[in-house]
Amino acid sequence: MKKTALIIAASMCVMVPVLARQPYPEYPTAQPKVRFAPLHIYVDSGERALGAFQFELKAFGGQIKIVGVEGGEHAAFKEPGYYDPAALANDRIIIAAFNTANELPSGRTRIATIHLQITGRVEPEYGLELTVAADADGQEIPAEITFETGEQK
Amino acid sequence: MKTKLKAASIILALTGLILAGYFAGCGTRRADMAEKPQQVDQTVARRDGKDVQTKVIVEAGADNGDISVRTEQESKKRADILLKTDESGIPYADKITYPKDWWEIIDKQGRKGEVPVLGDMPIAGKSFKLDSGAYGMGGYGGYGGAMYYDGHGSFLPRGGYGGYGGAGYGGYGEGYGSSYSIDGRYLSKLKSDQKQLGTRGPGYTPRPGPGGPLPIDLRTVSADEIWIIAKSEVAVVARDAETPGCGAMICRPPGQEKEIPLPLKHTDVKGQISGYIATVEVTQEFSNPYDEKIEAVYVFPLPQNAAINEFIMVVGERKIRGIIRERQEAERIYKEARDQGHMASLLTQERPNIFTQKVANIEPGKKIDVNIKYFNTLAYVDGWYEFVFPMVVGPRFNPPGFTDGVGAVARGKAGISGQKTEVQYLKPGERSGHDISLTVDINAGVAIEEAACSNHAISKNAAAPEKLTVKLSPLDSIPNKDFVLRYRVAGRKLKSALVVHRDKRGGFFTLMLYPPANLSSLRRAPMEMIFVLDCSGSMSGKPIAKAKDAIRRALKKLEPDDTFQIIRFSNNASQLGPKPVPVTPENIRRGLKYVDSLKGSGGTQMIEGIKAALDFEHDPHRFRLVSFMTDGYIGNEAQILEAVQERLGESRIFSFGVGSSVNRYLLDRMAKLGRGAVAYIGLDDSAGEVVDLYYDRISHPALTDVTIDWGGMAVTDMYPRHIPDLFVGRPVILTGRFKGEGKTTINITGKVGGHYQDISIPIDLDDSSAAHRGIACVWARKKIEDLANQAIYDQTSDLPDEIKQVALEYGLMSAYTAFVAVDSSRKTAGDHGVTVAVPVPVPEGVRYETTVQN
Repeated sequence: MKKTALIIAASMCVMVPVLARQPYPEYPTAQPKVRFAPLHIYVDSGERALGAFQFELKAFGGQIKIVGVEGGEHAAFKEPGYYDPAALANDRIIIAAFNTANELPSGRTRIATIHLQITGRVEPEYGLELTVAADADGQEIPAEITFETGEQK
Repeated sequence: MKTKLKAASIILALTGLILAGYFAGCGTRRADMAEKPQQVDQTVARRDGKDVQTKVIVEAGADNGDISVRTEQESKKRADILLKTDESGIPYADKITYPKDWWEIIDKQGRKGEVPVLGDMPIAGKSFKLDSGAYGMGGYGGYGGAMYYDGHGSFLPRGGYGGYGGAGYGGYGEGYGSSYSIDGRYLSKLKSDQKQLGTRGPGYTPRPGPGGPLPIDLRTVSADEIWIIAKSEVAVVARDAETPGCGAMICRPPGQEKEIPLPLKHTDVKGQISGYIATVEVTQEFSNPYDEKIEAVYVFPLPQNAAINEFIMVVGERKIRGIIRERQEAERIYKEARDQGHMASLLTQERPNIFTQKVANIEPGKKIDVNIKYFNTLAYVDGWYEFVFPMVVGPRFNPPGFTDGVGAVARGKAGISGQKTEVQYLKPGERSGHDISLTVDINAGVAIEEAACSNHAISKNAAAPEKLTVKLSPLDSIPNKDFVLRYRVAGRKLKSALVVHRDKRGGFFTLMLYPPANLSSLRRAPMEMIFVLDCSGSMSGKPIAKAKDAIRRALKKLEPDDTFQIIRFSNNASQLGPKPVPVTPENIRRGLKYVDSLKGSGGTQMIEGIKAALDFEHDPHRFRLVSFMTDGYIGNEAQILEAVQERLGESRIFSFGVGSSVNRYLLDRMAKLGRGAVAYIGLDDSAGEVVDLYYDRISHPALTDVTIDWGGMAVTDMYPRHIPDLFVGRPVILTGRFKGEGKTTINITGKVGGHYQDISIPIDLDDSSAAHRGIACVWARKKIEDLANQAIYDQTSDLPDEIKQVALEYGLMSAYTAFVAVDSSRKTAGDHGVTVAVPVPVPEGVRYETTVQN
């Protein structure tokens, strides 16, 4: 009997600390997954030379934060466009740029890449609104805005 | 068995009692004289004010220097004998031969010692002048003993204890070795022979201590940095030449500096000045010289009034504009991007003039540039416009218990300061390879008569009389001191100038308001002049010499109706006399003698200087001017500014920044809060000229109680809220928002010597030549500054939220916002790699050993 009690006591001495060191079972946290992805913005101004643009970006079904604005492919828009900080403070992403140089792009051209932080596992749906496109003289011109996702273009 | 156990317990208990009794007895045993060579435990105070235990070797028959063995009564009596006061209130002592005598004096005279003590100390037949300071130990690890206690009641100078270093705190700072310097003869010898290793005392041969060879810097140390220290046996063991704190610095022949491969290669600065507004672009070029991926961290300065509104990360040919975010959010984004392997950069503000740049995931052999753009208004000082670009953050002193400061640590010693922000400094003899290029294009609008830069080599090219391009010489590209460009334009009578900007947010303006010309023909009232001199370790050498020159000059320019006072501070404060000293030839001589006796050592307890100067009894019949002379190397700026605000009273503060890279934010704020002005004395400037201009300014009454009738302008949100006094040669810049158009007249009214005076300024709000797009940012920056100043005194309100809101709306950097840029296009392989801090050189004229924690 004494022997059994001793064995039980010794086992407890060994087991208790071992059990105490066991980690709690892990469960997936409720924290949303965060990732980063670019959004490439294109404007097609047809045969007209593009001298200026302003657009607004929205996302549906997912949470995005702008973390960088990259310049476009044509030399005229190589410098990154400006975002409106006042609009950003109200969760709106408004980007604009202008250039009055002689060499301006026409047709479809990548005018910017927007670097985004995306929160959540759902792929957001993007909405782009071209507020204005203009030529070098500041005259409004018809143009179409589109986007592409994926890595570096 | 039980009996045996009992016996053992009793024996153990008895042994314990015996041992306890023994140690208790040791603590109270009197040991005036050591019977044989032995180690003595002593408590010394470090630069940070903490008491630390150390051991001092005492040779046979010697007084062990431990004042703890004296009774309180004995100590007091001894101090009364030693310390005397002359008729003018200056304390002095003579015939001090025992270390404990110093401690008695310290205890009697001041909390932390370092009281001015004048007198002669006969030692081994030589006369040694005790110039200042009090603590007989502490100080540099690895600096070598300049004074050795010979065990017979005398101190003898000797050199070559490299690595012993006073109390052996591994070069922690200037310590409390304070500044007993040796008599003139001895100093002259050292001055004329600075290439010698260490110093040699009579009858002693310099020999290297356990720390290895004497540090190279002692060979160039000036006379006021000879340290009297006890021979210590604290274990500062030399490990290898690269190990900081071992007291064995690398000895390299002059000109052969060791280049440390670091991620910051180059900084390029391009400034454009239009009128009195500068637009500056700073490009920092980071690259990775290592074999693995790194994160670079660089703490750097910018002007305290810089309105930073653009931040671009350049990766190869691609430019990514950074986004302004609430600071914590930006930090979170950066960390997430970094941890996921994206190239990213983050810019945060630690002080209005100190920033941290982080660049993550720089791959081996690759480079990432960061481009920062800001606007700032130029100062107009005594007829000269002044463009300043700071190049290095000076090493700050943080008071004990303070953790929100800016620590100054040796390269590779991250975290040892315990401060929120840390700057790592290169050791003497090390070179980072980081250099700087700088170009400034000035378009003054009127002919530029003269342009000069006293502290850097420049080249000038004038495309037109009103246009000038200034370039920093490639031969002067080490970023270790401020770049200060001054230029003067044609026309002695400058008109107050208004610059405006309009956008969808409304109208913004800045007005440079010049004092009326006739002020310079009026004489001032009698003055009560208080000079406050920073005598901390960072001021030692050239800076304190410049400051003393300035005070000497100023003393000689006082008028018979004036009074004066001289206050010094480092770990504590002391002053020339108990009350204002009348200006007499005899008192001026006394003042000059007192100034001569002051040395730089110890910490920067500026609060003590503030209290001493502003709590000083005021003579209501005199106009009180307090002149602070300091490098401003402190980390607790908010505490100092709060004290100034609380204690200012009738005083006016004129702050003088002395040194090559001073804390301009602190000095500017002190002057603004103190309703005075700021001036800077670079190490290459003539202190006399600066003081002459200062006297010229204060020799005439100021235009006080200034009010403005804006005429057709509807002005709101103007900063500063209260218009400061206008001194001769010192215009004031006002900035605000407005509505209105067309021509109108601004009327300014102020008081001069009891009479009111009016100034009228005709303006045209539609004049396109008087427009600048940076004005909105300048206004928002001023508003943030104003709110931040309020936040110092009012920590309960929602001022931080207000600051954040303004900063986010105008896209500006602040303490609560940050710029972040992420390249989401690509992930680099592996985790984020090693974090590498970019160490910087200590500013020119500042001694690494006295300021950097090692």
